[in-house]
Amino acid sequence: MALPPSLRANITPAELELIASEQLVEIIPLVAMERTAFISGAYGPLRPPTKCKIPIWMATNLKLKKKCHIVPPDWLNVEFLQERLARETSEPDFSELPFRFSEVAKVLLDVAPDDIPNPDKVRSLLKDIREARQAKSREGLAKLDHSELRLPNLCAMEINEIRPFFVRAMSVLTQLVREPRQG
Amino acid sequence: MEDDYYSIESILSENQKIQCTFKVDIPDMGHLDGGKERDIKAMSKFISSLVHTVLLLNPLVFEFFESASDYADFTIPPPFSARVRNALNAEARSVRLSALVGQGGLWYGFGRMIMRLLNDAPAEEMSNVLAKTFRARLPEVIDQAQHFASIHASAAASGSGAHGGGDTAAMAFREGLDGTERECGCLGLSSPDTLRLMWLEIVFALAQESARRTKKWYETSDRGRR
Repeated sequence: MALPPSLRANITPAELELIASEQLVEIIPLVAMERTAFISGAYGPLRPPTKCKIPIWMATNLKLKKKCHIVPPDWLNVEFLQERLARETSEPDFSELPFRFSEVAKVLLDVAPDDIPNPDKVRSLLKDIREARQAKSREGLAKLDHSELRLPNLCAMEINEIRPFFVRAMSVLTQLVREPRQG
Repeated sequence: MEDDYYSIESILSENQKIQCTFKVDIPDMGHLDGGKERDIKAMSKFISSLVHTVLLLNPLVFEFFESASDYADFTIPPPFSARVRNALNAEARSVRLSALVGQGGLWYGFGRMIMRLLNDAPAEEMSNVLAKTFRARLPEVIDQAQHFASIHASAAASGSGAHGGGDTAAMAFREGLDGTERECGCLGLSSPDTLRLMWLEIVFALAQESARRTKKWYETSDRGRR
């Protein structure tokens, strides 16, 4: 294969971030702009101070030029994450979160900490949630089976992190478990 | 064995000797045993390579419909003896699998070959031992891999080459990893070593690389790049 070995097993976190950046986010524009066509679609028009939905990549670009305020999604706040963290630590299952929450949260916290209330608290909550979920997927390892694996509500970044060795470990188990003779 | 004809792991794991006992006299085959005598006598023991044994036993398995082979018997090799099984039952993580099969050995691969030589009940048992051991050791392997990944990630971030040692128990466990186990924890460490990293070694490598990458992503900010 043409890909270097480090890229064969799974895609990189940066690529996942790029994919997540196609998602729409609400902004309050500070400049006016007509409806504009991009490769991924047409967005706009921007009419301050009306809210508007544009992709995250465009929002970050505008934000860094100080041409908009980003409205954080309804799950990116202290109360919601606190509640999810409590659920995460008390229930055995993974709690429900947006599929690409870690990428979106990271990008928004990165470029627009001033638009998110209490960004430091949000950061530490996200970290706690990540650690709680990691502990769960680690427990899942002990129950690994050669034929199937079910981890509902696992998110893109987490799947990407555990994919290479879960897949490998399962294929090893497939070889170790004796297939019943056809008879 | 048809499914992994081209597998280097499989070839390496065949590189083991096991003890066989002949049940019948076989004339003119003394060279198998080292060549001192012309014929092989019944009940004589000889150490044969695994490949040889497969040849001795397998055709018979096909011909006589899984009845025990009429020419030779083999004893379960020491890496899978009752003593080792008991130790694995007691605590799978404290057994040094790599020490059992010798340099570059593949405990799981060897076990799989043996499993395929055996008939129903013993093969089932062997399969259980292998799968149970793998499953019991896996969380520890992944933990270690992620621990090392985070050490490397933070060392890289701070710019110093300080590689933390970890405690001695963990170190001992790591040295005792079977080739298979180590792979699961270091794929992507593209060194010539990767060729002989196998099975759990691969698991180790994989886990380490992906944990390192994800941790790096979480901890860096791309603000400057945008």
